[in-house]
Amino acid sequence: MTHLLVVDGLSKTYTSGGGLFSRLKTARVVSNVSFKLARGDVFALVGESGSGKTTIGRMLLGLIDPDAGSIRFDDIDVLALDAAGLRRLRRRVQIIFQDPFGSLDPRVTVGQAIAEPIILHGLRPAGEVQARVSELLALVGLETAHAERYPHEFSGGQRQRIAIARALAVEPELIVCDEPVSALDLSIQAQVINLLTELRAKLGVSYVFISHDMAVVRHIATHIGVLYGGRLVETGPSETVLGDPRHPYTRMLLAATPSPVPGSMRSREPVIGEPPSPFDDSAHCWFASRCSHRTSVCMEGEPLLRQVDPSLRLAACHHAETLPTATPFDDGEDRMTAAYRLRLDILRKARSPDIPQQTSSGSAHG
Amino acid sequence: MWGALKHMPDERKGINVASVLAVRGLTIGMPDSPPIVDKVDLDLRPGCITCLVGESGSGKSLTALSLMRLLPPGIGLQADMLELDGEDLRELDDARMNVIRGDRMAMVFQEPMTALNPVMTVGEQITEALRVHKGMDQASADIAALDMFRQVQIPAAETRLNAYPHQLSGGMRQRVMIAIALVCRPSVLIADEPTTALDVTIQSQILRLIDALRVELGMAVLLITHNLSLVAEIADEVVVMYAGRIVERAPRDALFGDPMHPYTLALFAAMPRADGRGHPLATIGGQVPSHGERLSGCRFAARCPFAEARCMETYPTLREIRQGHWISCWRAPLEDHVS
Repeated sequence: MTHLLVVDGLSKTYTSGGGLFSRLKTARVVSNVSFKLARGDVFALVGESGSGKTTIGRMLLGLIDPDAGSIRFDDIDVLALDAAGLRRLRRRVQIIFQDPFGSLDPRVTVGQAIAEPIILHGLRPAGEVQARVSELLALVGLETAHAERYPHEFSGGQRQRIAIARALAVEPELIVCDEPVSALDLSIQAQVINLLTELRAKLGVSYVFISHDMAVVRHIATHIGVLYGGRLVETGPSETVLGDPRHPYTRMLLAATPSPVPGSMRSREPVIGEPPSPFDDSAHCWFASRCSHRTSVCMEGEPLLRQVDPSLRLAACHHAETLPTATPFDDGEDRMTAAYRLRLDILRKARSPDIPQQTSSGSAHG
Repeated sequence: MWGALKHMPDERKGINVASVLAVRGLTIGMPDSPPIVDKVDLDLRPGCITCLVGESGSGKSLTALSLMRLLPPGIGLQADMLELDGEDLRELDDARMNVIRGDRMAMVFQEPMTALNPVMTVGEQITEALRVHKGMDQASADIAALDMFRQVQIPAAETRLNAYPHQLSGGMRQRVMIAIALVCRPSVLIADEPTTALDVTIQSQILRLIDALRVELGMAVLLITHNLSLVAEIADEVVVMYAGRIVERAPRDALFGDPMHPYTLALFAAMPRADGRGHPLATIGGQVPSHGERLSGCRFAARCPFAEARCMETYPTLREIRQGHWISCWRAPLEDHVS
């Protein structure tokens, strides 16, 4: 299968110091990261701050140059592109950010903001630009009249939809979403996630989805890459990775994610330690200091990403095969009370046909 | 202050005698406009965590600020009761309130970087609280500060006392904020989205810390959040707010086990869950009513699939539908009213 995006051996370091009073220090922000994305898939990059997920996202658009590695988009070598080539690339690859207010010019109306890329790339004749703007606004659930307004007149969720409409203006094949819903209220978050899912089904858009919210990632991603200290420590199909994580760090992230099943926090393993320093260049497992499964072998060599079971998942842990079965991240509605399921069922029925029934909640009537 | 508002007589007085902070009929607003927060009751009890839940515009942050008497200029509060350990906070002057703030009531904000002073070391900031409120000399304040830093699990606490806020990570800054808030052993801690800007791993550590310290110090905690999963993990009691009013108030297990209000249910339905993959998430149609709208009925009615004529006309006063479980809805429980 040919992939839309092939990232191979991506690395990025920054240096600091080296002046009169300090030693030159090298920070490894991204280290030998490789992954592939098939057309129509959603690859989620998850990890804590400093894990390199945002840096990778920017490198995919040619906004930051890696020190080593390659990025191929639809067989085009992204890193070899000149300015004109990059401009053509950005017609096909777009990015949306966490804070839509920071990415929209406050002095430009929403209509102008969305029209700009259409005019810039000559995607429509001048006479058809306004019609296209209305079409894009409708696609993200806004009205034509909204084109005349300025960003400050909209709520956070609406601004995120405007940012999505603007990204869609160039009809991209890939959108890099950097924490697109983490600043939004729950009900607005649901709208934006539904919109992204719909666009994928309707237009075949692929996503690189950067997030630290495991519940959101589980909902939207087809594949997952877990980053720790700039390295991929586990990657594979999302159901495999989340259903039976084989790296202790993936397990820690899942254990740290609050679950809507009351009182489950105290029964889970606590998070210990801090993320690694990017200046640390010793050869050992970077997660060892926080890992309850570590042995002497973990301090001797850095584990490489490798196949650890018959699935398509890869994990970088010396003990991947022998880790005990993980506590599943199970927050399904079947774990809630009968009264909870009964009332949610009544709510879903009252809203149908626009809200489909969830099969699992049917048992509430039993 | 603005005094034109009328209050309903308080029929619920005495339900929670042991509360350290008792709030009845708290109403916040600007002169000559409809209230932003309307008749909110709260009872914060020693050693208990009350979670105040709501989306943007629900009035939850203003409620928190008003309890500390930190409302922005031009916004006033009225209450039938606002008592800390029996002391009426409503009429206290700024000088007296300054004595209470940071000592008996403390607050932690979402973004520690804006709440910490960037040109003072964190050690200076925490000892300042002890010198001002407890009259300690520098030497004993230093000892108490170090002890507190260790209690909130700041690694290398001695060195960290000499650090400036910008030299610390986000999670570490939030621990410093909590240390400063707790160092005077307040009886009430108000935390407004204390972990929203943090990684889930750090969030989990901070929550466990608050969970442990409230028992150790016997303090009442008001935790403001929009994250329902977090509420399920840590709350003893939950108060759900919508458009400035309480719509549901219940012990944690009752709220998650026997949720009643259509708004609470709609929030639950919007959560991505294990068995919901491949299905669209449920959204809530429509918008939160703006502050200017004068609504006589239920404020959620326009977005509620169960609304009927009386919901639009008459506000459903909070009623106790099960013991300790209060609800503001004509239609609850749904199974009795919806065919």
